Amino acid sequence: MARDREDILQDLADGVLNMDEDLAVSTALEAIEAGLDAFDAITNGLVVGMNKAGELYDEEEYFVPELLICSDALYAALDILKPHLNRQNDEKKLGCVIGVVEGDTHDIGKNLVKIMLDVAGFEIHDLGRNVPLADFVEKAKEVGAQMICLSTLMTTTMDGMSTVIEMLKEEGIRDRFKVLVGGGPISQAFADRIGADGYADNAASAVRVAKALCAGLKAA
Amino acid sequence: MIDMQVPEDTQTSLERVLCYLQGVKPQRIACFPLILNHAARAINVPVAQCIQNAELFGKAHVAAYRRYGNDLITFLSTTSTLAEAMGQKMNFIEDDAPQLADPLVKDLDDLKRVRIPDFSRDGRLPIYLQATEYAVAEVGQEVCVSTVFAGPFTTAAALRGADVFVKDLYRNKEWVHELLEICCQAGLKYIDEILVRKSLPIIVEPIGSASLVGPRMFKEFVAPYLKRLADHIHANGGGLPAVLHICGKTKPNWAPMREADFDIWSLDGVDMAEAKAFAGDRVALVGNLTPANLLKNTPEQIDAEAKLICEKAMGSPCGFILGSGCEVPINTPPENVDALINAARRYGRFDQSE
Repeated sequence: MARDREDILQDLADGVLNMDEDLAVSTALEAIEAGLDAFDAITNGLVVGMNKAGELYDEEEYFVPELLICSDALYAALDILKPHLNRQNDEKKLGCVIGVVEGDTHDIGKNLVKIMLDVAGFEIHDLGRNVPLADFVEKAKEVGAQMICLSTLMTTTMDGMSTVIEMLKEEGIRDRFKVLVGGGPISQAFADRIGADGYADNAASAVRVAKALCAGLKAA
Repeated sequence: MIDMQVPEDTQTSLERVLCYLQGVKPQRIACFPLILNHAARAINVPVAQCIQNAELFGKAHVAAYRRYGNDLITFLSTTSTLAEAMGQKMNFIEDDAPQLADPLVKDLDDLKRVRIPDFSRDGRLPIYLQATEYAVAEVGQEVCVSTVFAGPFTTAAALRGADVFVKDLYRNKEWVHELLEICCQAGLKYIDEILVRKSLPIIVEPIGSASLVGPRMFKEFVAPYLKRLADHIHANGGGLPAVLHICGKTKPNWAPMREADFDIWSLDGVDMAEAKAFAGDRVALVGNLTPANLLKNTPEQIDAEAKLICEKAMGSPCGFILGSGCEVPINTPPENVDALINAARRYGRFDQSE
């Protein structure tokens, strides 16, 4: 006999939160078997678990390894549920271009932010690491993004962030995008100085700042 | 210009630093701006050239010392130097620190490719050691020379790729310990090579930062290996202290860090008053001017930030040394390094009290 919806959702959330990929995957299969709506299973199960993991990260209970393994469980279960998504749930998402600026290859922080923004419902366009500065502008125009997220761990590359903002100004399209910056050497003062819209000092706060910046914006 | 007199030094750098080891008060606190790749600027050569040539590397650090009067010469170009000598490929960039290329240890089975380096031959170790010899011969009578390398956890992460490595901590625990053991043995041997050249070995363990791993992982995978390095320095260093630098946030990991038995902690993204309260009775503290501010702020702002740090950390029971939280950025204006060292001369004095 099939279990209740609540039990299934709980196990989906727990599988992610407790880094139990086997539980997340087997429960995702069970959800399909039981005829649970895939959108419901994702948003009220998996995403709930990942958000709780994000809270624990914010509280310094979880650190980078834990968050990465939670996200592995999340994406393994998503792979099972996504083919069953009903088209009508497919609402327009806010677009976000993200990457590590040119000259820097440290991408763990960027990847965490990407995961948390993905879970928060943004449409992510990940340019990777060591990204030529003009690519941020081109990609944001091409996909009609609402937000550009720039990351760096190094003091030698942080000025690349201000270059991206200058490029947007030169093209007269600065006000089309919210620019969010973060990474080891970055501070609120630096973000203010280069005219970024927001600064976040970890992946959990990046989601809060991104949501605040994009409140009221509509997807293109 | 900061409109204020800078008191004259009455001790050499070495005399000042020796006061800490002897437990007596120096005329003023020492200052360790972590001048690493920035040293290339002192001889006007691109970074990549400087760090791949023993003569230039040595001369750059001696020239930087003569220019600034920093109380510690620090030979380091990247935290991956030991990994590089163990077979990890690096990408050299003309005027920046080298970066990790593809990881050497892609599969668990690649562990057998990891070897303890030959210090006379592998990677850039001969460059580090020859540059160290040059600086010790040139200015070793007046300033402490150190040769800096990454601890086992950071070296292992460089060989494996940090993103995969942090997941191995859960998925392949035994294997991780095998890898750490090799990295630790390489570190122990490097310490011997450094000590024989009359330089101070300093260990950096940035991947052990709480920006990446928490106290549980630190206790299991970082602290035990660091302790072996500290013990080795204590046993063979002729009274030299064991020095540990970890950049980023470290506060959540302070308790297991203390178990590693280092004598000096160089800290970055922390409140020095909290560090003093937590560990000041056990370790001397070095820190922690924000590196990005060295690059971007004015000398007046550097002075104000350094003053605040001194107010928090002065009087720490085992001593306090003003420093930068992490590497002095390559393009830092020289007057900002001056401002940091002058702040130690102003706010770190012991010759006026009572």
